[in-house]
Amino acid sequence: MAKEVSAQQTADAAEAIVAATNEKFGDAAVAEVANHTGGRRKNAYVFITVEADRWHDLAAWLAKSQGVDHCSMITGIHWPEKAEATWQIVAHLMRMGVCNPKRIEGRTHETEVDISNLSGANVPMEFEISMSLPATREPSVPSVADIWVGAEWNEKETWDLVGIDFEGHVGMRRVLLPHDTPTGYHPLQKQHRLRYHDFNEMYDDPQGFGRKPDDVGKVK
Amino acid sequence: MAEMWISMGPQHPMTHGLWTLKVKIDGETVVDTEPDLGYIHRGVEKICEARDFTQITTYCDRLCYASANTWSHAYIYAAEDLLGVEVPERAEYIRMVAVELQRIASHLMWLGAYCPDVGNLTGMVWCLREREMMMDLLQELGGSRLHYNFPRVGGVKRDLPIGFAMRCRAKLKLFLDRIQEYEAILDESTIFLIRTQGVGYAKAEDMVNHGVTGVNVRAAGHNYDVRWAHPYSIYDELDWTVAVERPSIKGSDCYDRYRVRVEEMRNSAMMVLEGLDKMPGGAETNHPSGDPAIIAKAPARAPEGQTGFHHFEDSRGESMFYLVGGGEGRGKHPYRVSIRSPMFITIPYAAKCMIGYKIADIPAIMGSFDPCIGETDR
Repeated sequence: MAKEVSAQQTADAAEAIVAATNEKFGDAAVAEVANHTGGRRKNAYVFITVEADRWHDLAAWLAKSQGVDHCSMITGIHWPEKAEATWQIVAHLMRMGVCNPKRIEGRTHETEVDISNLSGANVPMEFEISMSLPATREPSVPSVADIWVGAEWNEKETWDLVGIDFEGHVGMRRVLLPHDTPTGYHPLQKQHRLRYHDFNEMYDDPQGFGRKPDDVGKVK
Repeated sequence: MAEMWISMGPQHPMTHGLWTLKVKIDGETVVDTEPDLGYIHRGVEKICEARDFTQITTYCDRLCYASANTWSHAYIYAAEDLLGVEVPERAEYIRMVAVELQRIASHLMWLGAYCPDVGNLTGMVWCLREREMMMDLLQELGGSRLHYNFPRVGGVKRDLPIGFAMRCRAKLKLFLDRIQEYEAILDESTIFLIRTQGVGYAKAEDMVNHGVTGVNVRAAGHNYDVRWAHPYSIYDELDWTVAVERPSIKGSDCYDRYRVRVEEMRNSAMMVLEGLDKMPGGAETNHPSGDPAIIAKAPARAPEGQTGFHHFEDSRGESMFYLVGGGEGRGKHPYRVSIRSPMFITIPYAAKCMIGYKIADIPAIMGSFDPCIGETDR
């Protein structure tokens, strides 16, 4: 009995999800099967490009009909040179595949199911979902914290560090930066540079208080 | 009685690091909690944007002081995904040995810190004694005691030293015996049982929805492990078992989370022993550094538009790196490095888990989730 999910199972499951997604959303969410490029196995995963305003619909549909039960990470990227896609939001989701152990005596168990026979929504799957926003001072996408509570702190962090807001997120606040960080200061935006790049704002004024006037008009 | 907020932390024995747990209490009962993180935020993600792919390993080691090797490996697998590198099989075996030894050391550090939390000081000194053995082994591999900087993009820094396999087998066999000693002193210690059993119930469905992963969710009976679900390295060639608990109908309590970690240490030790036996080229062979048997050539630059990510089974859950190529120096640096820290997601859940219990249960519940603030704050 194989104890690991085989590459073929992953590839089959990915294709099924891609076909279902493309049928359901058409042009609003374009799904494709992608493969990891490093390592020995080169597992398949599902890559979806979605329009930002359909993100919540897609997430709800994935959670409900494709068994996506785990939001691994939501993060943002700032591309100041791309006017059409200045803000990119990338979400990594997981379908864990349900396999609870048998209720037998003893504390460690073999897995209940024969993993080599897993199929359908029981096969674990990785998802990468990407969406872009054009240049704006107030980038914002729908929050998915109502679907997966685990997304809540990821979204807080993304707003804190990158400055992308999430509509419908309750209690957005600073998590990693100090609570009194000036409004509009989000260090992972590309206009903030490190001393390594011959700039030293990071070190001369680590709290960022003196930087407040410089930021006006540059960031949200 | 009037409700009030109290701050536990930033310096409190419960916190296992520098953070604050704000607790709203009604008498002795916890009615609301609010974690406050970020005290040691170092901006690793930003710093990495100005470093090349080899230099970043050093920073990833510093993400977690108790589990440095797993974090640098988590980064390395993502970097190999970004750069499209295939790693020699022997290097994968050596990495597996390094990671599993680190996992044992990390769980021992956890148990060593958890025992005094719940009133068993002997457990601490016993666990740290065995952790020394693991750190000696890791020191032979990486050269330093805490931050090994061991993996390289494409392979590992060094081959196994001469005599390492022999010493490793001997120490792990001794360690497997000693695990029974921990079980003897803890499973039969009345105070340990009183303080861990029936405290901090957490259900698997809630945990998965809240993004909790790894040992914590396996303690609740959810058999999920990245090592079998999305096999990387050579885990698909080993014969191993996932440690899963059988929790009660109310979910997993602190005791289940202790049991599953002890079980996982045992499994990791077995995996290392098996890996040493199966290692291609033999565990006693020693190739010089840079030999193609242990390191493959890797490109130094990643073009724009290329991305890489890798889910990795860390000692505390599923960690992940997401790398975007095409940064400074024509792609020599990553454009963006994003880190998924399992504890950053777990700490808010653990804080919710305490609601309804007494103040005295807070250290037992918080400790049982194994918080590590270095990776949380990044």
